[in-house]
Amino acid sequence: MNPGKDVVLTIARDDLQTIIDHCNAGYPDEACGILAGKAGRVEKVYSMTNARPGPVSYEMDPEEQFRVMKDIRQTGLEMVGMFHSHPDGRAYPSGVDVEKAYWPGTQLPNYPEAVYVIVSLMDRAVPVVKGYTISGGAIREVPLAVV
Amino acid sequence: MAIKVRIPTPLQKLTNGKSEVECAAKNITELVDALEKDYPGMKDRLSEGGKIRRFINIYVNDEDIRFVSKEDTALKDGDNISIVPAIAGGVDNG
Repeated sequence: MNPGKDVVLTIARDDLQTIIDHCNAGYPDEACGILAGKAGRVEKVYSMTNARPGPVSYEMDPEEQFRVMKDIRQTGLEMVGMFHSHPDGRAYPSGVDVEKAYWPGTQLPNYPEAVYVIVSLMDRAVPVVKGYTISGGAIREVPLAVV
Repeated sequence: MAIKVRIPTPLQKLTNGKSEVECAAKNITELVDALEKDYPGMKDRLSEGGKIRRFINIYVNDEDIRFVSKEDTALKDGDNISIVPAIAGGVDNG
């Protein structure tokens, strides 16, 4: 995905619900996952283990992440995004979310093609889900098209 | 036969856009030095004080080097190395 271009992340309602369910299951800790698909369309949701669980932190289990990324390549898909929850925060990247989106000590985005989906559970009855690209020192919202 | 190294997107500027390179090394420390020789700047990206940077994960075939021998993890011809940035975040600095 080319930051600056008008982009949308398309996701099926069931897949969106899978994301929300996984985030609710992890509550009050942050939960996380990977979104596989093609051309900005989510085709598969991988619910991941948070290896550094806490209400204000997540780190995908590295070996699980490696296996999933390999699986995505082998099935001919791409990592179109990843998601994590903010159990008590808004659906917007935190400072650490942004810092960790770049290679350590640089402004080189780790996953420039991916949309960072954030699920806010501040109001658990009404989760707020938003997507962003984090690249080139900028955070840009990517609208989610739920189909 | 050499060792194949999968290069993640943010480091591909150093490899002239190549997503996979080959090199020869007997362990991870030598691998970092070999990459630095061919692609200057790589050592600083990958390591700090001789250790692989936190939030950068390296796999030899399917094994995370942290669970083998870290920087001393032995390599042999035909191994496939993957360099994978962690996916993490949060509001602390832990």
